[in-house]
Amino acid sequence: MKKQLTLLLAGGMLAAPATAIADPVEITVWHMEQPPHRVERIQSLIDEFNAANPDIMVSQEPQNWGEIYAKAPAAVAAGTGPDMLFAIPDFAPILKDIGALESVADFVEELDGAHDFVDSTVEAYSYDGGVWAVPLYNMTLNLWYRESVLEEAGIAVPTSWDEWRAAAEALTTDDQFGMGLPANRQLYTDQTVYSVMVNGGASEIYNEDGTLRFDNPQTVAAYEFYNSMMEFSPPDAPSWTWGEAEACFASRSCAMVMQFTVISTYENQAEGDASDLGVAAIPTSDGSGDNATIAYANAVMLLSDEEARREASKEFIRFLLQPENYGRFLNMEPGLFMPVTADGATAESFWSDPMVQEYRDQIETVIANGQNGRLFGFTSGRVYPAIAAISAQNVLAETLQSVVVTGAEPADAVAAGQDRMADLSR
Amino acid sequence: MRRPLRWSIALAAGLLVLAALIGLPFWWVVSGAFKAPQEIIARVPTFFPQSFTLEHFEKLLSASDYLTYLVNSVFVSVLSALVTLVLAIPASYAFFRLTFRGRETLYRIILLAYAFPSIVVLIPLFATFARLGLVDTRLALVLVNVAFALPFAIWMLRSFFASIPREIEEAARLDGGAPLTVLLRIMIPLTAPGIAAVAIFAFVTSWTEYVFASVMILSDAKRTIPVGFSGIIGQYQVDWGLLLAGASLAILPVVLLFALIGRWFVTGLTEGAVK
Amino acid sequence: MNRPLIAFAFVAPALVFLAATLAWPLVSAFLLSLQNVRSVGTTGTWVGLENYQYILANAAFWRSTGLSFGWVIANAALQTLLALLAALILHQKFPGVRVARTWIILTWIVPTVVVVMIWRWLFSTSGGMINPILLQLGIIDRPVGFFATPESAFATLVFINSWRWFPFIALMMLAGMSRIPSDLYEAARIDGAGAFKRFTRITWPLLAPTLTVLLIVGTLLSFNVFDVIWLMTQGGPAGGTRTLPVLIYETAFRSYRMSEAATIAVLATALLMSFAVLATRYLARSGDER
Repeated sequence: MKKQLTLLLAGGMLAAPATAIADPVEITVWHMEQPPHRVERIQSLIDEFNAANPDIMVSQEPQNWGEIYAKAPAAVAAGTGPDMLFAIPDFAPILKDIGALESVADFVEELDGAHDFVDSTVEAYSYDGGVWAVPLYNMTLNLWYRESVLEEAGIAVPTSWDEWRAAAEALTTDDQFGMGLPANRQLYTDQTVYSVMVNGGASEIYNEDGTLRFDNPQTVAAYEFYNSMMEFSPPDAPSWTWGEAEACFASRSCAMVMQFTVISTYENQAEGDASDLGVAAIPTSDGSGDNATIAYANAVMLLSDEEARREASKEFIRFLLQPENYGRFLNMEPGLFMPVTADGATAESFWSDPMVQEYRDQIETVIANGQNGRLFGFTSGRVYPAIAAISAQNVLAETLQSVVVTGAEPADAVAAGQDRMADLSR
Repeated sequence: MRRPLRWSIALAAGLLVLAALIGLPFWWVVSGAFKAPQEIIARVPTFFPQSFTLEHFEKLLSASDYLTYLVNSVFVSVLSALVTLVLAIPASYAFFRLTFRGRETLYRIILLAYAFPSIVVLIPLFATFARLGLVDTRLALVLVNVAFALPFAIWMLRSFFASIPREIEEAARLDGGAPLTVLLRIMIPLTAPGIAAVAIFAFVTSWTEYVFASVMILSDAKRTIPVGFSGIIGQYQVDWGLLLAGASLAILPVVLLFALIGRWFVTGLTEGAVK
Repeated sequence: MNRPLIAFAFVAPALVFLAATLAWPLVSAFLLSLQNVRSVGTTGTWVGLENYQYILANAAFWRSTGLSFGWVIANAALQTLLALLAALILHQKFPGVRVARTWIILTWIVPTVVVVMIWRWLFSTSGGMINPILLQLGIIDRPVGFFATPESAFATLVFINSWRWFPFIALMMLAGMSRIPSDLYEAARIDGAGAFKRFTRITWPLLAPTLTVLLIVGTLLSFNVFDVIWLMTQGGPAGGTRTLPVLIYETAFRSYRMSEAATIAVLATALLMSFAVLATRYLARSGDER
């Protein structure tokens, strides 16, 4: 049905009279960066591109993460989808499943040659003999704290789980929670749980042959540890998303949080003292230096199957990844979006932003931490479509909730979690 | 009609509780929208604002399309209310004043319209709208809103029509009036307050609708307030000031509407028909 | 007065409209439940009653059904109570009653997203108002996570939903009360009946028909509440607020099983329809046609 619709559309466009050459190719991009200042920044880049490319006209439609999982497949199926759609790794398989994607391996190779992608970001979209999206920006979880607060309590930055627990305990006082951890059935909790798992030797949820291996001793140990840390979190942690964690840190109610970045809120809503803001890699279970973290390589998918529109979309992406533009793109939210290219990491346009300059040390640490980033379900070079449902249903977080909220034994909860994953993979 | 003292006290106490229950949350939200960011997230919240700033409203209006959302919401809600009335008034009149076969059964079926989870209608309706080219149109929202408001509207109108004395209607018919004329010339003017109440009901249900609006509307320019509002809730961080300002502005139009015509809603319900 | 054609013309537009926008999609959903469609936009094959077998044997389905029952009953109880009290208060005459009657509806005219955001903020432990107040009043001695456990999340959601709806119900009740002729009350007072007796002998019986209809429609609407629950807890924590509408949405758009979702919806519809049919039959018998 959808194929017929698009064929009709394509035919219609090709049959248009020659005067169409004068009309610009109109393409739309959907993204989930809705906060007004991000929309504004994207718009200014779009305006620049449109001015420099009179034969192409790009427009943006900001969408909402809560709605897009339902909306995008529906819109694509109805033939009203966009030409470009930003994505995170577990979102792409859904669109690939409904036949909306063509491999962009050649295009990615071209860009890789020009800008040198961070390998893990391309890997997250490489499977089934193709590359399904173009990496665009990276986000990684880190441990944030205030130097002064740690100093006052006389503790050093934790590097192992034991130290982490001891630090959280020492930092928990009457009006301060040592370690703010979420326990909500939501993406943020998926992310924090996985960050702990990945540093405890439990980064793979699939075996080489595609069978699930979520239920293993390292995973259970990770959940046990996470659960033991919950006593240092505020009581409303089971309903936390990113916003609550940041607010807790900004208001000094939490001494430490796991977050992609707190720089913006720290600067605008808290005291904004760059010299006091500390960031570290997530501690490993045994204190060995091989820290890892969850990495979300955000990318852009090309959905149109018309040559002209695909080409126009590629032009726009080339424009964005140019070092002189890329920095401004990333800094739509300073400190949150990290470069996925080597030349982006050294780009003047990135480092010249005032906020980035002010928090230069922290951002350099974040970029360094991100080199060792992983994402569950996307680690073995093979991707299993069920990962979409597993992510969308927040099974990792769900499993945590049964331990933290319902009081199940970690071993039982993890076994049930694996059953749930199996069910979703039917 | 004198009232014993203890009743007066009970009444006053009840009123106070009611006022607090309804008014306090809104006070906190609106007063919070004017507070400085630090004061909003402070661990010990303040009842009376200690700071004053307009930055949240500035940010909201300059950096987002909030006014567009407002216009869209007004357009959709007004249209939904009108269409609901146009469909509900004749239907209600027919159910409760005219006789025809199957009247009873049809009336029962009307209320059954609520007897299923509205979510299930979402996808088939989306597919149909897609085929008709109605996706990403405000008309689609109007159609959905009317569908959900219509049954209750028909039921609401019933009691207003029922309370008009039969003699008036008989007289009009004896004068040789066709049912349509009777409806337009006599019944509607007599039940005007009730009709206003139903119109407001349809308006408000459209104004507050979220789920269908979030899926049916794809482009920013057509968004309604509820969807637009959920959009400014940041994905990875929460700007409480911005949210409180947004909430205040989302409430403002309906509050203004009610300041103007709210009493008609109440008198419409309580009096229903001009005696 | 018998002009069936005219009557039909009056009713037809509304009926056709409802048939197109509600009845047809319902049929469509039923057909969907007999296939095995996954993501939206894909096609499936006919699998007969396979989905029904799976769902009816699924513990999650029955848990959600139970939660939906609990949700409906809890909401009905709380809303009826609050609405009745509010209606009784607003039925009295006192300075400012007009203002009160107009503005009590404030909570209902606000979009649900906003309601959710307001209460999420108020109930949070950093910056929220509720915890500090309860601490001050000595009702609790540590901040409470209102959404921390399944039970408290459920209760809190019932409260929020009732807060939103009770003024509307109150006004409907008020409308019913105002149709009770005041001479009845006069006569009763002259006969020496106290306030309580006036309530039980006059108000309650004469209000009963209105209350019954409100209860029926209210139940149906309550059952269907989706956005408040979804926006606030997404059915959590630990599935403690995953009522049937939430389960349907999740199955369709998060597990990507459209046909399964349609199946649950059809079953839920069957449940509601039986309730509605029985209820309206009871209504007819008790002579609602006033």
